[in-house]
Amino acid sequence: MEKEKLKFVIVGHIDHGKSTLIGRLLFDTNSIPEGKIEEIKHLCESLGKDIEFGYIMDHLEEERDQGITIDTAQTFFNTKKRDYVIIDAPGHVEFLKNMISGASQAEAAVLIVDAEEGVKEQTKRHAYILGMLGLAQVIVVINKMDLVDHSQERFETVKKELIQFLSEINIKPSYIIPISAKQGDFIANKSLKMDWYNGLTVLEALGTFRIKENANDKPLRFVIQDIYNFDKRIIAGRVESGTIREGDEIKVLPSGENTRVKSVEEFLKEVTEAEAGKSTGITTEDKLFIDRGDVIVHDSDQPVVTDLIKANLFWMDKIPYKNGTSVWFRCATQEVPCDIEKINRVINSSTLELIAEDALEIRNREVAEVMIRTNKPVVVENFNKIEELGRFVLGKDDTIAGGIITELE
Amino acid sequence: MIVVLAIDALEHTLVEGFNCKNLMQEFHGKTDISEFSEPRTMVLWSSFMTGKNMEEEVMALGDEGMWHTKFDIKNTFFDQFKDPKIIDLPGFNYIREQHDKERILLKQFFDAQSEDEKKSIRTEYNNHAFEHHRKIKQEFIDALNEDYDFLLGYFSIADVIGHLNFGNRAMMKMIYKDMDEIAETIKNNYIVLSDHGMDKIGMFGDHSNYGFWSSSVKDFGNPKITDFAEIIKENQQVK
Repeated sequence: MEKEKLKFVIVGHIDHGKSTLIGRLLFDTNSIPEGKIEEIKHLCESLGKDIEFGYIMDHLEEERDQGITIDTAQTFFNTKKRDYVIIDAPGHVEFLKNMISGASQAEAAVLIVDAEEGVKEQTKRHAYILGMLGLAQVIVVINKMDLVDHSQERFETVKKELIQFLSEINIKPSYIIPISAKQGDFIANKSLKMDWYNGLTVLEALGTFRIKENANDKPLRFVIQDIYNFDKRIIAGRVESGTIREGDEIKVLPSGENTRVKSVEEFLKEVTEAEAGKSTGITTEDKLFIDRGDVIVHDSDQPVVTDLIKANLFWMDKIPYKNGTSVWFRCATQEVPCDIEKINRVINSSTLELIAEDALEIRNREVAEVMIRTNKPVVVENFNKIEELGRFVLGKDDTIAGGIITELE
Repeated sequence: MIVVLAIDALEHTLVEGFNCKNLMQEFHGKTDISEFSEPRTMVLWSSFMTGKNMEEEVMALGDEGMWHTKFDIKNTFFDQFKDPKIIDLPGFNYIREQHDKERILLKQFFDAQSEDEKKSIRTEYNNHAFEHHRKIKQEFIDALNEDYDFLLGYFSIADVIGHLNFGNRAMMKMIYKDMDEIAETIKNNYIVLSDHGMDKIGMFGDHSNYGFWSSSVKDFGNPKITDFAEIIKENQQVK
């Protein structure tokens, strides 16, 4: 059986030891190709120093560049319990775009802070982005404890400063761990150098995190693509999550009418159900008015029907959005005109600097926290609950922005 | 003490790319070496120390002969100082056997027929360069703690390793980071200067047609390598 896999990102100030931590995670879990460590060790010795784990990533990337391994965006390591994927972002812009567009989805994050330097502006910006993306599973590591004599007092000072900032942006880290990535303290192994700390190691902490739920196990969301009137009336659509079965009591949204699934139809096949990811057709007992964009659900767990959405956008059109312009809101098969009623904040996706609050426009490659008003009610979800209906795009002819829904009325 | 970190083939784009803060300092940029027909190490360092374009003079010695170039201190700006210390500088006091051997191994590498042979020559070449680097590094760091009024350390590692390995970005990064750490140990004001940079040609590296400079004191703009004799003299007078 394939082991489960957790995807996470490591963020924080550029000099606070991210690559050393990655190198150490790979080293301590024996995930580095044979011979590679010896090569790096030899080079470090050639320069007259001890091995530096930070170079492991560089050497692995080097191999990728030479086409030996294929995946450019991900680094793997595994433990007995599960596999891990560290999602590498070449830069903030790519990372944000990938996260918002769904190209790569981190399920957890490690925020790294230098014990000596403490919380920096970049630390705050990165933390803020974790909040924007709704990442709830966060480990804070306070690194380079070896440089502060493994001092508990220093750890507590940095921890306090950080927690105060994180609480302002509604992030509650699951763990705060003192580590030395360089020396391997509390990464995979506990360490006597900090006997005052009796919590989990980084690997143990990662091990407690939840893997993203399988779309099959989530509530039913069957989004309608088209209606075909043959000898029977077939409602065609895609099961975004959950499973639809013959005989199910169903509700059609946004109208709210109830009926029952008479049959699940598949071309040249006898079936009684369709799982997440499947494009299929159904017939219903009652002839209801159903249209493209409608969403069929079970009564037990319903999405939100609203015309007001709080979301985070990644703008990817050369033409800026001007306050009050009408554009298309597209989510699953729904397509309705909308306008951005309020632009709460705009952030530069490259530097993560705050550009403006209560802004009047959003420009190319900016990230914005906005309130969207649709012309008629749409069926949507908070991104963290059902991603498939929590992700949308804005467009004119082409897509001009990607977004995730963070709050619903 | 005025300190010059003279680094052969330090490439501007890599110093920035690897974020080598101590090499970059507050002000940094490219030098203009367009007056020279080719970016040759011996020509460029000779022109640096004399403050004059020495291309004709050095080239007149021939391809082999130019490696024997040795300027008297009276003809260099080092003469301005009471107690200068110059480490391994081409055209002044560089260690011939060391650098001759680099060139011999380099030629052997390109003459070699089999991959195995090339591999073993590359290893010998790299080890030879690293061993020298460790020695120079120690000498430089020791000299920083002495009472010289001028210290110049010449580091050839980025050039020598670069010629056969410039395509190996990870390896070059380690070398640049090491040079950055060396710069970090300098407590005085210092100038970082390279003769030329390096362009990637497959796995290999060839001299690029601009050099690198940095300073914590002043923006020199796009200086010529011959300007530094005067710049350093002025710097000395300020002190």
